[in-house]
Amino acid sequence: MTKTAIKKNAGKASSKNAFDVMSYLRHDLFPHFLCPGCGHGIALRALMWAIHELEIDKDRIAIVSGIGCSGRLGAYIDANTFHTTHGRPLAFAAGLKLARPDLEVIVITGDGDCLAIGGNHLIHACRRNLDITCMMLNNEVYGMTGGQVSPTTSEDRYTTTTPLGNTEAAFDACRLAEAAGAGFVGREVTVQTPTLKNLLKDAIAYNGFSFIEVISDCTEIYGRKNDLGNSPEMILSQKSQMRPNSYGGVIVDEPFRPNALPTGVLSTNARPEYGETYRNAMASAKRKK
Amino acid sequence: MTKATHQQNLQGNHACALAAVAAGCRFYAGYPITPSSEVAERMSLELPRVGGTFVQMEDEIASMGAVLGASMGGIKAMTATSGPGFSLKQENIGYGVMAEVPCVIVNVMRGGPSTGMPTRPAQGDVMQARWGMHGGYQIIVLAPASVSEVYGQTVRAFNLAERLRTPVVVLIDEVIGHLVETVRIPDPGGLDIQQRNWAAVAAGEYQPYAAGDDMVPAMARPGDGYRAHTTGLTHDESGFPTQDPETVERVSRRLLGKFEHHRAQIDQFEELQTRDAEILIVAYGISARAARRAVREARSKGIKAGLFRPITIWPFPQQALTKAAKKAKRILVPEMNAGQIVLEVERVAGRGRVKGINRIDGQAVTPSDILEAIGTGD
Amino acid sequence: MDTKTKYKEPVNVLVVGVGGQGVIMVSKVLATICQERGYQVKQSEVHGMAKRGGGVFSHVRYGEQVFSPTIPKGSTDVLLALEWAEALRWVNHLKPGEGTFISDTQHIVPPFACRNRKRGAEAGYSRETPDQILSRIKDGFALDATGMARELGNERAANTILLGILSTALEFPEDTWRDVISRFVPPKTVDINLQAFDQGREWARTVHENSDLAARHRRSEKLAPAVPGPDRDEMSDFVQLDINPDWCKSCDICVKMCPERCLKLDDRLKAVLTEPDRCTGCRICEWLCPDFAITVHRTPEAAQAAVRV
Repeated sequence: MTKTAIKKNAGKASSKNAFDVMSYLRHDLFPHFLCPGCGHGIALRALMWAIHELEIDKDRIAIVSGIGCSGRLGAYIDANTFHTTHGRPLAFAAGLKLARPDLEVIVITGDGDCLAIGGNHLIHACRRNLDITCMMLNNEVYGMTGGQVSPTTSEDRYTTTTPLGNTEAAFDACRLAEAAGAGFVGREVTVQTPTLKNLLKDAIAYNGFSFIEVISDCTEIYGRKNDLGNSPEMILSQKSQMRPNSYGGVIVDEPFRPNALPTGVLSTNARPEYGETYRNAMASAKRKK
Repeated sequence: MTKATHQQNLQGNHACALAAVAAGCRFYAGYPITPSSEVAERMSLELPRVGGTFVQMEDEIASMGAVLGASMGGIKAMTATSGPGFSLKQENIGYGVMAEVPCVIVNVMRGGPSTGMPTRPAQGDVMQARWGMHGGYQIIVLAPASVSEVYGQTVRAFNLAERLRTPVVVLIDEVIGHLVETVRIPDPGGLDIQQRNWAAVAAGEYQPYAAGDDMVPAMARPGDGYRAHTTGLTHDESGFPTQDPETVERVSRRLLGKFEHHRAQIDQFEELQTRDAEILIVAYGISARAARRAVREARSKGIKAGLFRPITIWPFPQQALTKAAKKAKRILVPEMNAGQIVLEVERVAGRGRVKGINRIDGQAVTPSDILEAIGTGD
Repeated sequence: MDTKTKYKEPVNVLVVGVGGQGVIMVSKVLATICQERGYQVKQSEVHGMAKRGGGVFSHVRYGEQVFSPTIPKGSTDVLLALEWAEALRWVNHLKPGEGTFISDTQHIVPPFACRNRKRGAEAGYSRETPDQILSRIKDGFALDATGMARELGNERAANTILLGILSTALEFPEDTWRDVISRFVPPKTVDINLQAFDQGREWARTVHENSDLAARHRRSEKLAPAVPGPDRDEMSDFVQLDINPDWCKSCDICVKMCPERCLKLDDRLKAVLTEPDRCTGCRICEWLCPDFAITVHRTPEAAQAAVRV
């Protein structure tokens, strides 16, 4: 990542105050509604941890989420939270960020929300490059509606709408985001919580659109149906599939790791942030007139 | 309400854009669609001049989302569209109703259904504007009948949106959207502008959806320390989802009731010689202009005709209509659709004496169409 | 002492240490000196395993004629140890009653000696102190060479300090030592290494003149800096796990992922800490609990404050 693309106090150690996740959550609403072993809770902690280490004021944080299991996470965060319509959190977030550049806008979305019904918003958010962080929780399934096939469901998996096995190909969300021009693209598994926290930190600190795919697990209605084990087994198998980018891509995938999953910071580019570009262009146009 | 400072020849869509800026709109998100694109074009020029933001989003749904996002951020926001886009926006407008997010949606009506006739006028979205979303709700829909009224009603749309914390729809038909007329542009300082009711209590005491006597809760601006939750799920006063029947009943009643509570401010209509009218014409938008001419001509022939023109078409001004229709033997409802507001008129005035005059050929209703229906004996 | 008579039999120097410390380098310096003084030299070594902290040893034998490359047990004239535990491992290879023992007192604890990962837990490392060992040896030197070298400004010069001491036990001219060392160490560190050599040699001389046993154990004045590691400041011996059973949803992640296997699910299928002594406070259960039901407290104050009723 280029130095110029970093803003604010990225990477600043905050050992002064130990991280207490409870000070970032709305206690009254706990225990949360997620199923046992759902990786979304781990991702939520990592996000709060990243915010803590960046020392962002809670009042300045706007969490925008869509519909689905991921969409419900926002309600548990003690910040300005907006639980919007299915697939549209990136659209809401674009308006919010353009209207209020002072807010730190973070979108929490899921694989169905972000890639299916909201796919168009994702690619245009990547293209537009507003300073928004998009955390997409990928559990390969529509959990809230009962376990239907999603755009990231692996081939041959059983879901309630693919009772004979999934025959569709899955999206590689990170490559999609990169191709669409996202400034910062990364992926991590939940079991690597501190690493995930660091990735989210870099993503939030990045001045532009950052897209983070978090590999989460849906045990209750996806893992069981596909004999993937319980949550510990699922997160460990995710870990076994990961191929950290810091290895320099030297790991040979075939034939030993056919499902290798590149993790870490996958791509960055140094395009200017759209909001600043727009305001500067408008201001200079006004001066000329 | 205003003091005219200067006059200008303006297209309806441009008047709409200028009025929005005058009303304090500082955010516009839209998607190109005929015949409303001029609103976006004018906004893209006007907003940067006042430090506002214009953005052309990737689609109609995103535009509505961005408008709601900006408004939740505390900025007055608007979008404009036409039939197909209005259909796409419905879900998010519903979010605005449920989460009580003020915003203005301009719909410049064209022929439909589907792609229909993009460049021909219609008044086919009247029922959609009222009932387009799922679930039971109330909404405010304004239907100006001239370019100058487009200006005034757009300002009023923002004021009502902010006062009642709700989306407001401005229904313009293609004729008025593209009509150029001389408009008296009021002095911005003389405009009566409603500002949002911002939360002012201590953060610990704030309840995002607890309303006072006016039934409209104060809104929290992000960054002011309230850290509120906003959701399209049915929520209680705290803003968090609930399914408790008693609570759901209470909050739903308030959501519907706030419109009735502010009815005096919402209702607006024009009456022309209705006091003794035996033949009452109920018309809105461009059709009302034909009706005005028809009334004058009928009167010149001794026929006691009158015009009742709802400017706020939803909620429908039924009390005023009942009064205006007291002496009417016949009620004629000219519309550029197969009969929409006529159903509402029938509901208020009874079926027997109500008759629709409907054009669905992409042409405006003419005075002679109405005169023919009046039956002047010519 | 008549060197010629003495060297009819080969002189045996055993250099030992932990992988990466420089055992091979030290023995090469010695072998080169012997060669330049006209002796036959045999050097044989076992090395490798450096990454795992494995032991490394090198046999250096010199004399007018040397046949076997390895030193028979109990016939080592000088044992030069770069690490304390390695010194102890080889101490019984010394010639009984007459061998010279030179050792750095620094501890390099191998990972497999960490029987319990709880901070402060005792490692499986030798407990014998330098004083105990020195009391059993006629000619012994124990010193914190690494600490001394650090004071000089380069920890890597510790081996040269040890060579300085070794130079007093073997009868080679000082110039040859200085010359060979200068050629073996990196050019930029020649000065500091010669300084280290002098310091070692000087100290060994004063020890020889002094019969007091305590003088043979030299401690460094400066303490070693803390090893950098994650959350070192935050670490404490006091660990308390706070598990909220009302939020626990029995997913089993903490139980399966705990590296110490100190959690389990109770009859109600709620996570409980069954082996508090084994808990190291590593926080993995806290991080991976999707239900926010586990909090790890690592300071006495926080742990006490978190005790639930």
